Amino acid sequence: MSEQAEMSEQGKVTWIGKPVPRREDRPLTAGAGRYMADIEMPGMLYMVVLRSPQAHAKIVSIDTDAARAMPGVHAVYTAADLPEELKPFPVIWRPPVLKDDSIAALASDRVRNVGEEVAVVVADTQQIAEDARELIRVKYERLPANVDPIKALEPDSPRIRDEWDDNVAALFPFRNGDVDAAFAEAAHVVDGHFKINRHAAMPMETRGVVASWDALTETLTFWSMSQAASLLRTELAKSLDLPDNAIRVMTPNVGGAFGAKWDRYAEDLLACVATRRLGRPVKWMEDRREHFQSTVHAREQIQDWEMALDEDGRILGVRGRAVADLGSCVPSSGIGTQWVTGNTIPNQYKFENYSADIIAVLTNKARAGSYRGFGGPESNFPMERLMDKAAKELGVDPAELRFRNQIQPEDMPYPTATGMAVYDTGDYPGALRRALEMVGYEKLREEQPKLREQGIYRGLGIGCYVHCTGFGPSAMLGMINYDTSGYEGARIRIDPGGKVTVYTGMIPLGQGTETSLAQIAADSFGIDMDDVRVVWGDTSQTPYTGFGSGGSRSNLAMTAVMNAAEQLKAKMIRIAAHTLEASPDDVEFADGHLSVRGVPDSGLTMPEVARIAYLAHSLPEGEEPMLQTQQVFDPPGFGWAYGCHVGVVDVDIQTGMMDWKRYVIVDDCGPMVNPLIVRGQIEGGVAQGIGGALLEEMVYDEAGQPMTSSFMDYLMPTFHDVPDYEIDHLVSPSPHIRGGFKGMGESGVMAPAAVVANAIVDALAPFGIEVDELPITPNVLWRKLRDAGAFEDGRSAASVG
Amino acid sequence: MKPAQFALDTPQSASEALALLSDHGDSAKVIAGGQSLVPMLNFRLVTPERLIDINGLEDLAYIRENDGVLAIGAMTRQQEIEASPVIAAAAPLLAEATREIAHPSIRNRGTVGGSLLHNDPSAEYPVTLLCLGAEVEVASVRGNRTIPVSDLILPWFSTTLEPDELLLEIRVPVAGESTSQAFEELARRKGDFALAAVAVALTFGASGAIEKAAIAGTAGRCAQRLTEAERALTGEVPTDSVVGAVAAAAETEIQPVGDIHADEDYRRHLVALMTRRALAKAIGDRAGSKED
Ligand SMILES: Cc1cc2nc3c(=O)[nH]c(=O)nc-3n(C[C@H](O)[C@H](O)[C@H](O)COP(=O)(O)OP(=O)(O)OC[C@H]3O[C@@H](n4cnc5c(N)ncnc54)[C@H](O)[C@@H]3O)c2cc1C
Repeated sequence: MSEQAEMSEQGKVTWIGKPVPRREDRPLTAGAGRYMADIEMPGMLYMVVLRSPQAHAKIVSIDTDAARAMPGVHAVYTAADLPEELKPFPVIWRPPVLKDDSIAALASDRVRNVGEEVAVVVADTQQIAEDARELIRVKYERLPANVDPIKALEPDSPRIRDEWDDNVAALFPFRNGDVDAAFAEAAHVVDGHFKINRHAAMPMETRGVVASWDALTETLTFWSMSQAASLLRTELAKSLDLPDNAIRVMTPNVGGAFGAKWDRYAEDLLACVATRRLGRPVKWMEDRREHFQSTVHAREQIQDWEMALDEDGRILGVRGRAVADLGSCVPSSGIGTQWVTGNTIPNQYKFENYSADIIAVLTNKARAGSYRGFGGPESNFPMERLMDKAAKELGVDPAELRFRNQIQPEDMPYPTATGMAVYDTGDYPGALRRALEMVGYEKLREEQPKLREQGIYRGLGIGCYVHCTGFGPSAMLGMINYDTSGYEGARIRIDPGGKVTVYTGMIPLGQGTETSLAQIAADSFGIDMDDVRVVWGDTSQTPYTGFGSGGSRSNLAMTAVMNAAEQLKAKMIRIAAHTLEASPDDVEFADGHLSVRGVPDSGLTMPEVARIAYLAHSLPEGEEPMLQTQQVFDPPGFGWAYGCHVGVVDVDIQTGMMDWKRYVIVDDCGPMVNPLIVRGQIEGGVAQGIGGALLEEMVYDEAGQPMTSSFMDYLMPTFHDVPDYEIDHLVSPSPHIRGGFKGMGESGVMAPAAVVANAIVDALAPFGIEVDELPITPNVLWRKLRDAGAFEDGRSAASVG
Repeated sequence: MKPAQFALDTPQSASEALALLSDHGDSAKVIAGGQSLVPMLNFRLVTPERLIDINGLEDLAYIRENDGVLAIGAMTRQQEIEASPVIAAAAPLLAEATREIAHPSIRNRGTVGGSLLHNDPSAEYPVTLLCLGAEVEVASVRGNRTIPVSDLILPWFSTTLEPDELLLEIRVPVAGESTSQAFEELARRKGDFALAAVAVALTFGASGAIEKAAIAGTAGRCAQRLTEAERALTGEVPTDSVVGAVAAAAETEIQPVGDIHADEDYRRHLVALMTRRALAKAIGDRAGSKED
């Protein structure tokens, strides 16, 4: 038996709740992983993409002759070469307010962002393909580019889509209560103009595909690192005019995705078209520069919010608008992320009056899609900044203001001010209280003035957050016009030897899926984890999943596994009862053992029952042979995870650089299946949040040229840039999910931007500086300090000690 | 992200390398540690027809001290400079600056010669070697010549090295008894190229006044000697107000260039601040060593 197993009081083996190291870690860290780049097949050809160097331009002509003539080149395709075969991918999340748009595989007459696909070359080797690509001559006629989403709203700004009468893809209104009345009676109003920077998921592994057409069976095998394999299969089928069952989507090991691999991409289609035309496997691997330019970016929003409060600092209402920059076309997720932003503005707070206009606009930048947090960090930042602004305005401590406004445990289930979300469970003040206690809030507050006298500018920043998990009830997805389903299935097969195989539609992207599902299955049967195998990544074997991995949905897969195990246990009990000549009601299933109640030695083992089930020599009347089942779980509601972070920073006012002192996290994702995985997910999420707040930004110049196309310029946080995390948990089970588990994959990334900003503003309180724009760079802080007169004669460090 | 096709030569001696450079100099590139050149090849920012790989020239990797001159072979890896006791004694500034270059794996491959010749405006070696008054010996089939670093480096990644020339050696005057050196930089993250960097080498007179001051700084364009700052310090006892005046001079004469990480004003300010901090360190070290 594996080391981590533990016997509970009942003598039963329990895996759930144990910090079991991920079973995938050892092979992956030992180099046994098989990633997309590792897939090589006989006769394989290599595809490269020619991308637009222009942000916005007419394509006057494309000359591919020299490239086609190069030895080793099998094909060069432009849009003109594939008039029939390139049906664009539709957008998945299409509320009625969203204008029609789709993701075209190749630009035909016009390019709309640097990096847009213009042509592909397919050749014997990657090198030949890249050399031939250099020989393609495209003549462009430059058009004025839109890079600023606010300017793109102006009526005379350059139009991205000729078919539209402006650049607005959608305006989604949230309206609840009487917000104007709330502001009319307010004792205090605070407001802010917020900028959330364009940045992106940066998985260690870039995108890639291998497509292989089998002319004999007329089937397509498609290796993809898509987070949504079943959905992709359906969409490929539509675009390629094939039945779903002619396409098998396989997923190798995936080196991170974080949402960026959820979108549909042009290269998926192009590789399929190439393999079908050429009859040979075709591989495309994105390089990092392409990744910077054409894998989805995220988060960019310019927001204006106002908050009304009464004399005691109770929130009366919030109103405002968020303008989101979608880039050059509507992503697969439509305006999903932006909708989530609007829907999570109320955060942990009790108020009823809310009005928000969520405006999504096209510009000549890379498409913006999903990234861990999916709209959540974009609402958390302004809301938590407003809380601190309100605290300052009222002259109360920011923690105290939050306590006054938090939804209480007894208020649950709580319908929020958006009118579209209902929180299930949670102790919001409890999480804040615990975080303050851990960090030693009062003591730090006492020390602060003394430190300032010594020239140490120390600040404390609080960030409370909510995280909508287990995305989501299918009917709810239908209501919000999400053109796919939210359920998760699990198949379990117990083989004739009695060992368990779990088939899941989830795709392991680093979130420990194999381990946590094995823990669940092992506990369901009371067996060793090593006796459970988890199979994933092959649509020909694994259950259909309309949504795929993302949306913090592991808890749905876990419930499906529990339900499937339940079914098989019932069947094994019936078979054992028949064999033991007892009533099924008298047969107990414990620790992988079936016995008649009161006669523990009488029983059968799981392998014995499995053998009986497979032999089928003597089964109960009407019982089907074999042991296999599939269960599908569609959640009745969302599980809302939540928590609180408190950060402590020192700011060097001479340089504007900040230094982490502490970072405290209290998270509640319900009962934890694997605390080690939870910890890893939180730490990774916080690191990404910190990166987005301090370092990462996709910068474009005025002509729409990307200034950040490598890790030289796009700065990711490294080990040196993140604090030591101090983590604790509260446990509020979700009533919607068996076991009460909530999702937790995105919790960590919600609050860090607010924490960092609040801490810096607090540190620099003597200068009265506000920080509402991300990223917060040392240059920006220094400028603010200078403008606030922080340096005696306002000039330079030369005069300051 | 693959380089365009190139031929590869692997000479085993300097004379072999020089012959190759003489034949192909205009269309060839020397490759040393590859830490700057390989990324440029992969981005196809440079597309040389041949690469002349000088990693076989093992006798170009050395650190020697002779008659008050520290001689460093062009192929000496940055890591060796960081670890060398000879460097620590003869040019502590160089050792200190090396620790700010990237990360260990890059310093294991990257050479001092490659870094100097790549002459990234934000790199540590050009500014440090300029401050130390170093010179280099270069060779071609036409003969050898010696170039002061001040004449070697030009703005924007350029140098006065001819296409057929090979860098052989860097020579640095050994730090005297009464000198004190310090390096200060600011980078966004640990190991990043500097937004601004300042190197100082001070020679103290018996009175406590500074006899000789060498100050070099860089802020995005090119390493430059800060001569006004040097003048403000030379002959002075480094009081707070003198240091303030030196920093103010540095701030005025530095030629910063802004980019997405830092604008010109900020870099100018940082040069003043780094000057202040480097001077404080050098003066403090000096005071410390006198007390011992
Ligand atoms: C991630 C990363 C981070 C980095 N961070 C820093 C940093 O913070 N600070 C810093 O200073 N540097 C940094 N570097 C650059 C690093 O220091 C390089 O090693 C150095 O700039 C080049 O040295 P090299 O030996 O690798 O030269 P190469 O890359 O091989 O060559 C560089 C140039 O010098 C020429 N050359 C090299 N040797 C000779 C010779 N003997 N004669 C004639 N020409 C020659 C080459 O032709 C080429 O033009 C970083 C590099 C990386 C990859």
